[in-house]
Amino acid sequence: MSRWIPYSPTPDRPWNLARVVHLHRRAGLGATWAELQRDLSDGPDIAVKRLLKGISRSEGVPDEFETLSATIAKSAIDAEDEHRLKAWWVYRLLMTPDPLGERLTLMWHNHFATSLIKVTRLKWMHRQNLTFRQHARGAFGALLDAMLNDPALLSWLDAPQNRAGHPNENLARELLELFTLGIGNYTESDVRESARVLTGITIDDLGSVQFDSSKHDGDSKTILGKSGDLQLGDLHELLTSHPATARHIAWRLCREFCGENVVDDDALNELAAGLRTNQLRIDWAIETILRSSLFFSEGNLRSRIADPVSSLICPLRAFECHRNPPNTLAVADGIRRMGLNLFTPPNVGGWTGGRSWMSTMTVIARTNVIAELLQGSMQLPTEPIDLIALLDRYHIGDTLSDAIRFLGSLLHGDITNESVEQLARSVREETDRSHQLRTIAEMLLTSTAGHLH
Amino acid sequence: MFNRRSFLTRSALLSLSPLVPGFLSRSLANESATRDERILVVLQLDGGNDGLNTVIPFADENYARLRPQLRIPTADVLKLNGDVGLHPAMRSAHAMAREGRFTILQGVGYPNPDRSHFRSMAIWHQGRLDAESNSGFGWLGHALDHSQANSTTSAQAVFVGDQTPPLALLGRRTQVVSLSRENDLVLPAGFKPFAAAEPADSDLASYIQHVLDHSYQTARQLRTSAEANAKSVISSYPATDLARQLSLVSLLIKTESAARVYYVSQPGYDTHVGQAGDHARLLQTFSDAVKAFFDDLAASKLQDRVTLLAFSEFGRRVEENDGVGTDHGAAGPVFLAGPAIVGGVVGGHPSLTDLDDGDLKMSLDFRAIYARLLKDWLQISDGSSGSNDLHCPHLFRT
Repeated sequence: MSRWIPYSPTPDRPWNLARVVHLHRRAGLGATWAELQRDLSDGPDIAVKRLLKGISRSEGVPDEFETLSATIAKSAIDAEDEHRLKAWWVYRLLMTPDPLGERLTLMWHNHFATSLIKVTRLKWMHRQNLTFRQHARGAFGALLDAMLNDPALLSWLDAPQNRAGHPNENLARELLELFTLGIGNYTESDVRESARVLTGITIDDLGSVQFDSSKHDGDSKTILGKSGDLQLGDLHELLTSHPATARHIAWRLCREFCGENVVDDDALNELAAGLRTNQLRIDWAIETILRSSLFFSEGNLRSRIADPVSSLICPLRAFECHRNPPNTLAVADGIRRMGLNLFTPPNVGGWTGGRSWMSTMTVIARTNVIAELLQGSMQLPTEPIDLIALLDRYHIGDTLSDAIRFLGSLLHGDITNESVEQLARSVREETDRSHQLRTIAEMLLTSTAGHLH
Repeated sequence: MFNRRSFLTRSALLSLSPLVPGFLSRSLANESATRDERILVVLQLDGGNDGLNTVIPFADENYARLRPQLRIPTADVLKLNGDVGLHPAMRSAHAMAREGRFTILQGVGYPNPDRSHFRSMAIWHQGRLDAESNSGFGWLGHALDHSQANSTTSAQAVFVGDQTPPLALLGRRTQVVSLSRENDLVLPAGFKPFAAAEPADSDLASYIQHVLDHSYQTARQLRTSAEANAKSVISSYPATDLARQLSLVSLLIKTESAARVYYVSQPGYDTHVGQAGDHARLLQTFSDAVKAFFDDLAASKLQDRVTLLAFSEFGRRVEENDGVGTDHGAAGPVFLAGPAIVGGVVGGHPSLTDLDDGDLKMSLDFRAIYARLLKDWLQISDGSSGSNDLHCPHLFRT
């Protein structure tokens, strides 16, 4: 693994606050000052291990987190209220001890993009979300198998309409193009023949997925060069053992954890090869990435456009808004306005991500959402974020420069002296200290650096 | 009056493309081609509009018999010809019809009509009757997937509303954005952008800085323009949700959004009980908003580029029910607005005596209208969901 050699701090690449913030923004959902300081002092091995083990959040995690989460989900489903289901996920994003798990759940939601636009049964969408989380770190084959038994995904892609003599290629095409091999690694004939293998899937009203042999096309098929009476299990095996699938999954993971132009072809191929020798285990690949020198390289810092979830959850955590219960409905709506409507990807290909998060509309939405966050309209009851209390909690000095330096370090990992001076100048007219601090936070979060995670 | 030249400086001309700013996704060289693109606005009359009390066959004696409580007196009907006329609340639409800017297509539906809101709306959204060969995509999303002008980087359709975007817009790759209010395009009060003095240290950072600068600039220009035109344009819209949404569509069109399809929805047409007052309010809201929208576009010399389609998932039962309302029915009228449409009344009113299980029979398949709109208006050839063989009269002036 020459391209994924492990990171160890050097004078060139020190274990500093910028790298701790980088780790938590990429692999988690941001962190509090206390969590950042904890990991800064414990070093990269322990910091990464906490994320991998799902215990990176030490603050504000309710004892009864899973029980509360289940209760919130159940009431949203019973009320048939999609907004409350989105709010349920926001609750998890804000309160979970395992932010990496939530990030991976979101990644798989984007990979197997299924939308409420068509799948209107919240129970099925919720179940799919739990499945993503359950298999988030496991072998990809198990997740794929679960998806081929998932009523939300199967109804989204018209699987029950695909019967012997009445082919519907929707599921087969996306299975090959988006979920496993990736475009260019199969032929149109492979799609048609795979669709024939997938005939006979039925879903009843309760969401139970069954196989109806009377609707199944039992004739011989040829897929990826292999012929015979291929069954679903054979197709699954053909796809998961194909090198293109490993490469596609490696691409998905690198896109999630690394920035623009960081991972070259050699590194991608090496990760894909490693995935194949490790039974496509996602946890193996994530650990390889997060422990790598490449992940902590200068080029990977601040090289990814912040997605809407990170854009809002990271500052909410940094400002310790979990101390008062945030209005999860408002947070979900803020994330939607910035371009990511949870449970509602734009199409089967998911969110394009990257530079496409930045548009006139989403930029303006983001400035509004950040302003609302700081004014406290995402808190219950509405109350401006008290940054003075935050500074006092960590015994930050009284000068304006001290405050700016603290906020810059908390949100971005570091801040230049020039920026500190520039920010100080732009708020010196303001007399109310609390308001002054919120203006600084707003300027930091909406600056170029604020969009780069 | 609205002056587009002063309203938009060249630098911000293309920057409101909803997903990626236009100035980055398109070169200035082909800017004019995009600016001349035709636009389709779809207005969903949600809940099943009572077509019989919207386009009223006042000359048919059966009408008064079948609608003893709900009938509109002949004297109040806004006559379109010797047979039919509009509900009296639709003065604006009637005025537009006389100017040739409002077209009524009668008896629109599909074979074997489904009376379930959900199922029938899904049929209209997908442009397909059979779940078995269901493509899973919406008629507009499917069409935009096939559009030549398809660029994967900017949104091709905009949904204006608080709800989830409709299935009609779902395509395999079509980019749809949703927008709920004008405030989504206004910067927060007292907002101070911060640009670090040191130069951007990467291509990505300078890209972001560029997008931020242009976004703020566009927002300020929109604000200036909205204030400057508060009296002449914005206030000419009625104070209804639908009018507000259409004014937002107009604003996006004026700011050169790259989207070719806009979608809005007006809820409330499911009038089972005490229909008369509610229905009148709905129709007035609808017709006033559409007229304000086209008057606004006309003032900006943009109305020639825009056609609006208004549809409902079904009409309502011919006979009124015991609750002085109407139950779910079948065929009903579809409306087209805009100067490019032929104008007037197309087709005859369905018979009030030759019914299909108590409902009006259809004479024009909605999929044929879709095919015309896609082919003749949006000029997208391969998006018609296989309905080219259905007959539909010419809808556009040549």
